Amino acid sequence: MFNLFKKKDLKVELTPSLKQINLNSGDNLLTKALENGLKWPHKCRVGSCGTCRCKLIQGKISPEIDFENVLSQDQLKEGYILACKSTVKTDLKILVNLQEEKKAR
Amino acid sequence: MKTLFVNTRYLIVPVMSIITIMGLISGGINVWAGVALFGISAIVDTATKNIHLRADFDEEGNSYGIKIFQYAVMYLMLIVFVVLQLALAWRIYQYVNNAPIDYFNAYGLTIQTGITTTNLIGATISAGLWAGIGIIYGHELSHNKKEGFFISRLIMSLSGASHFTYAHVYQHHLYLGHENDPATAPRGRNVYMHTWLSHAGQSKFSFDLEKSRAAKKGKSFFNLDNRWILGYLYSLPSIILFVWSGGFVGLAALLTLWLIANFELEALNFMGHYGLIRENGKPVEHKHSWDNDSVFTDWFFIAIGRQADHHVRGETYFWELDDVKGPNYGIGYFSLFLITLIPPLFRKYIKKHLDNWDSKFANEKEREIASQYGY
Repeated sequence: MFNLFKKKDLKVELTPSLKQINLNSGDNLLTKALENGLKWPHKCRVGSCGTCRCKLIQGKISPEIDFENVLSQDQLKEGYILACKSTVKTDLKILVNLQEEKKAR
Repeated sequence: MKTLFVNTRYLIVPVMSIITIMGLISGGINVWAGVALFGISAIVDTATKNIHLRADFDEEGNSYGIKIFQYAVMYLMLIVFVVLQLALAWRIYQYVNNAPIDYFNAYGLTIQTGITTTNLIGATISAGLWAGIGIIYGHELSHNKKEGFFISRLIMSLSGASHFTYAHVYQHHLYLGHENDPATAPRGRNVYMHTWLSHAGQSKFSFDLEKSRAAKKGKSFFNLDNRWILGYLYSLPSIILFVWSGGFVGLAALLTLWLIANFELEALNFMGHYGLIRENGKPVEHKHSWDNDSVFTDWFFIAIGRQADHHVRGETYFWELDDVKGPNYGIGYFSLFLITLIPPLFRKYIKKHLDNWDSKFANEKEREIASQYGY
């Protein structure tokens, strides 16, 4: 019975950096990315500035706030999410430009 | 055991709010219970100001906080605050209808019917003080999605301040420490002036947000989806209740309740960021908020005083917020609140803290901006 509440080990694959984050179901995406030393663009961490937006290619998250106040309808349709307000539910594939990559361009 | 302790220590406000309601219902001198509890809280807070505890995590770094329990409490507090207003309205109804002073028993509680003018004043202040404390739940839930956000709006609307929910998330968290944030009090402003300016500024932000949203959708400002208008309409049941129960007396009592509640709300904003400066566009850091995390304040205000951590890790639940060694007044909210009530005393008190901030936390640009202000 208690297995129902046990957190699952999950992984998040990031593209184009090909980096990977190991985390548990229920973890916050941005928090775990930052804890893993990734330079994920972010600013407010409350879902109001949109700096941490990324594209969910595969998998499922649970939004912790309504993304529509910051993301446009087109972005939502394309699968954009706000990492700072995303609870990870399954393994994910995410498109995000980490800050190191931006500088290299 | 630790889990039980961590989760129940945040129940001070729910318990005291319910005692306040029972005081209003039982009548007589008991209607002052809310004022007395506020006073007792101030004494306990001041007496324990030097005790600062860290957030609790197990050996694997997991929090002891149970999310479903904490959220259930926050959602249920909406009902508690509604009952608080109903209890006050009932007393007003008795007052304007000259109900005779009499006694009866119900469920083991002795209830005094009828109320004197003095006790009605006490009942209104009691209700106002605890309605204002609702900000701590309105604030926490504002950082949530649909249902939590909506409950936050409803809790704030009981104080006529439902604009807070949008302004807090989409304005205060973005512009904190900058003149674009009305909730950040610049140096030299007192808490009374701040209450009006911050309230009006946040409401204007919500107004402009909806104006721009309506324009994008090609709609008129006056539409059924306007969240600024809807927010104030959520306050309509309170207005109807108090006008129905007591006409002008009821309306005066409601306005007093809202005044007290909004003063508390803006006092929290005032204390959280007074005089701190951030260049617009620069990242929010721990140094841009004052912490008030003495033990009683932390448990009573569900860690809202851990502003430094909250503004940097806004996604974090209140029970996981920690001491991050940011600027810290070193005392609790109650003690500081009492100081802010006397502006000359507050200016004297804050000087050493601002001097410390300027020398130890501020960068050159922030110091340059600070030099344009007094204390």
